[in-house]
Amino acid sequence: MQHQTIAPTPMPSGPATPSLRPALFARYRALEDLRHDYPLILVDRKADRPLLRPLSRVIDDTLKRVAPADLSGEALRSQVLRLEAGIRARIFAGREGRLSDLWREVAAEMIETSGEAPFGALDNNLETARKALPLDGMVIGCDGETPGKVLRHAWDAKQAAKAHRFRKIVDGLILKLEDILKSDHMKSDEAHGPSALASAMGETANGAIDFGALSSVLHRARPEDRLPADRVDRIRGALGVLRCQPFFGPGRASHNCAERRDPYSYTFDTCSAALDAYRERLPDVLEFTKALTVAELEVAHKYRPELHDGILASFDESDLSAEQINLLPSALVCLRDGETESAEIARSYEALACGLPITVMIQVDDLLGPTSPEPPAHSFGAGTARLATMAIGLNNAFVLQCASAHIHGMNAELERGMEYEGPALFSIFSGATPSVPDVAPYIVSAAATESRAFPSFTYDPSAGGDWAARFDLTYNPQREADWPLHRLDYEDAQGQRQSEEVAFTFADFAACDSRYARFFQPVNGEAREEAPVTVRDWMKLQRAAANFSAPAIPVIDPDARLFRVTVEGKLAEMVRRCNDAWRRLQELAGINNSHALRLLQEDRLKREQTAESTPAAETPEPVAETPVPAEAPAAAQEGAADGAPWIETPRCTTCNECVQTNSALFAYDDNKQAYIKDPDAGTYRQLVEAAESCQVSIIHPGQPRNPDEADLEELIERAAPFN
Amino acid sequence: MTATMTQCLTQLVQTDYGMTDYQSEIEPRWCTGCGDNAILTAMQRLCRDEQLPPEKTVSVSGIGCASRLPHYMNAYGFHGIHGRALPIAEGIKIRRPDLSVFVTTGDGDNCSIGAAHWLHAVRYNMNMVVMLHDNQVYGLTKKQASPTSPKGLTTNTTPFGAALNPLNPLTVTLGISNVSFVAQVVDWIPELLYEVLHMAYKHKGFSFIRILQRCPNFMDHHFDNWMQDPARTRILTHSDGLRLKPELSRVYKKQETHDPLDMPRALALAALTDEVPVGILYKNPEVPCYDELRAGERPSTPSLVETVLNEEFDKVGIWPAETAEAGR
Repeated sequence: MQHQTIAPTPMPSGPATPSLRPALFARYRALEDLRHDYPLILVDRKADRPLLRPLSRVIDDTLKRVAPADLSGEALRSQVLRLEAGIRARIFAGREGRLSDLWREVAAEMIETSGEAPFGALDNNLETARKALPLDGMVIGCDGETPGKVLRHAWDAKQAAKAHRFRKIVDGLILKLEDILKSDHMKSDEAHGPSALASAMGETANGAIDFGALSSVLHRARPEDRLPADRVDRIRGALGVLRCQPFFGPGRASHNCAERRDPYSYTFDTCSAALDAYRERLPDVLEFTKALTVAELEVAHKYRPELHDGILASFDESDLSAEQINLLPSALVCLRDGETESAEIARSYEALACGLPITVMIQVDDLLGPTSPEPPAHSFGAGTARLATMAIGLNNAFVLQCASAHIHGMNAELERGMEYEGPALFSIFSGATPSVPDVAPYIVSAAATESRAFPSFTYDPSAGGDWAARFDLTYNPQREADWPLHRLDYEDAQGQRQSEEVAFTFADFAACDSRYARFFQPVNGEAREEAPVTVRDWMKLQRAAANFSAPAIPVIDPDARLFRVTVEGKLAEMVRRCNDAWRRLQELAGINNSHALRLLQEDRLKREQTAESTPAAETPEPVAETPVPAEAPAAAQEGAADGAPWIETPRCTTCNECVQTNSALFAYDDNKQAYIKDPDAGTYRQLVEAAESCQVSIIHPGQPRNPDEADLEELIERAAPFN
Repeated sequence: MTATMTQCLTQLVQTDYGMTDYQSEIEPRWCTGCGDNAILTAMQRLCRDEQLPPEKTVSVSGIGCASRLPHYMNAYGFHGIHGRALPIAEGIKIRRPDLSVFVTTGDGDNCSIGAAHWLHAVRYNMNMVVMLHDNQVYGLTKKQASPTSPKGLTTNTTPFGAALNPLNPLTVTLGISNVSFVAQVVDWIPELLYEVLHMAYKHKGFSFIRILQRCPNFMDHHFDNWMQDPARTRILTHSDGLRLKPELSRVYKKQETHDPLDMPRALALAALTDEVPVGILYKNPEVPCYDELRAGERPSTPSLVETVLNEEFDKVGIWPAETAEAGR
């Protein structure tokens, strides 16, 4: 989409007009007509569904399902796209609601304006498409509240998953502990009493059964092995704690707790409140963790008081493992620049640094701040764009920085940050800057990323041990470059189409802020001899030379007329600082890494120096000869050389024939298979008879050991087939 | 992954189970020379090697010589009624998935009166090990023909010889949908009996092992032809099945590499009559298990079950008081 601009137009002298905009904004004037990432749907959580999905993608998915690709689907496609435009218009007007509700509302309006009857073709088509919607959820636009809504939605989804897992574990344990107590109760006098037996039979017995007699019969056969009293007490104690835990709402097995308190809330406006709550709830956390451990050990019947009592008695917060902490809910703290006390920033870093399960969101609405050096009340200072970079230094926290416009693009990273088992910081720029009145927050937030004023990145300590694995700068446009380059098409004073490549810089981002308009001065083409220098060229100048010149950027006025303005003094310095910060980030991501570049340079120099001398041929390492595999282990002993009796023990089928003949001569080994225990403990006759009766013929009698035994000749003959 | 606190504390409790920990106080009352002894020993070895806690192990049986096995195991046991070992075992498994369930049954118990349960248990594919002690005769009741008795066998019920061809438990099991593990082994090669039992235990699903078992009293010398001639035993080996040790390899030279996923070949092997195939005929770990499919995401509490059942009954309930009032 191209726009009509006329350039260059001489500017009226005097102060610059407050409604400047970067020239590249010209094509995004009617945002509500464009299909982009907003309106965004906060998807109702279900397995294998994303957290967020743009309305336009959902509509495309739906149309792919219901509208045939050929001409026959054209009517349905255009109707549904019109409906989508209707929903988008409502969201832009400030409405909010669930997708299904908005759909019905817009569909009813479309049917009414079309004059078609209900249940007509239009109604049918829209209803068919509505039924094919793959998901539902709240539809939101891009404004100052967006970051909070998205973060709360993601956090709620994570807590719901946690609650599910928690209840599965805890309810399972409660039921198993109750089973143990129940099976013990069945052995009690009470359970065998006539009244208990009568109630077990229900109301239909009608006196046909004498429960007293039945009770006395059962009493005689009652097992005596009751559980020890201390074990019953321990199980009851653990059950009480698990049933009444205050962390999540009750599950199926724990709704019957009489002393149940309301579950704790885990969303806070300040880190101080979150830290106080953590300290206050610590005794409950410890009590619950101990009860959970006791329950798990009791269910496995592995609790040994002499071993475990002492360990559990000395268990305190320093013993809490990450896994135990992660079973419980984590805290969400939402801070907002301009509203939260400035001191909260320091506290949030303190909370993140100590590794508590806390998710901190810092929302920034105003990146540039006022032009005066001192920060206003409740501001996080001029460094709001660097808060996330500072948090990387803590090293144990997951850090994500992005602008509202890129939230959907970084959906997977957002989810990963929520899943991260440890503290997390999300720094989000909403784009709803009060001093930028005429530009949609979506555009402002996208421009912040584009201009490197607020780059998107993640730092994930769980992803690996080095920077390359942990730090990700992928979600920035043209991340190899200082500034992203774009083609600008315009119409010159002669009505000719012109095209030039311009960079979108920090100065362009500042150009839409009315407070900074005073730093832009229109270029008077006639006053200067040479063409105005671009920001890119200006950055290349030595600092001394740069002080005598000013970079210029192309901007447009409200009528989309193109002209150039120079960037003056303080703002030019801010451009330089922004570029410096960006280059630091690039280095962390491995782009133009200064250490690597230096090494490369040194290496190149070395190679040039040694190029003339021929490198000595390396002597190949003598290859160690492959060791000859050892001979296969000698075959199992096939017979005792000295004529002693023996048994092929591994083939024994435990049939008892031989051990019943003479249990001193034959015995079973650890695998309950027979061997000759003592060849002198029996007669040769017994050996021969055992060999004959062995079903699997594995007994070998050998030679007689006592030459005086009777009938030896006959026995040796009978033994021959087995030797 | 680091160990949880419970795992660490459990480690403190020494449990080193030996063979005797699985032997009950009752001495086996099987006849001397009976193959059941070998099966019991293999099972106790497996329990020892896998360190299965006796209180987490259950053996379930029906009626017959083989079904006496639970009495001889020092573990939980259920000596059930004739042919009903499998439904009892299924009930135990679905209520207590944490237990290791072993079923011992005989050719009469499983293939005659319990045949219907056998078919459906294979189809349910619940995680348990089933050992079919097949001695081809009713031994406990002193020699009557069972479904697997060979044609012509003279018994108390077939004085002129069994009239029909025997039922083949292997081909039947292989023919049932959802079958996931079928093996055959003989009691007189204890190493292979143990190996196959071990693989059956490790398999997730219904592991069916037919064990050819000697009965020295009523089928004396019946298996001698196979026992004494290693050439009539065909050992099925595979990287995903049995692997023979060199000692056995020297004795049993007839070996075949058989892929346990090859069903047509498994059926052909199962139908062999002059040779005994020994090893894993079929093994497919991908078959869904009914106990896992039916396990809810959330635990069902007794009170919830009662509430839901009452609601269902109330839909069709006839209330005496209301009926009486209506009749007035």
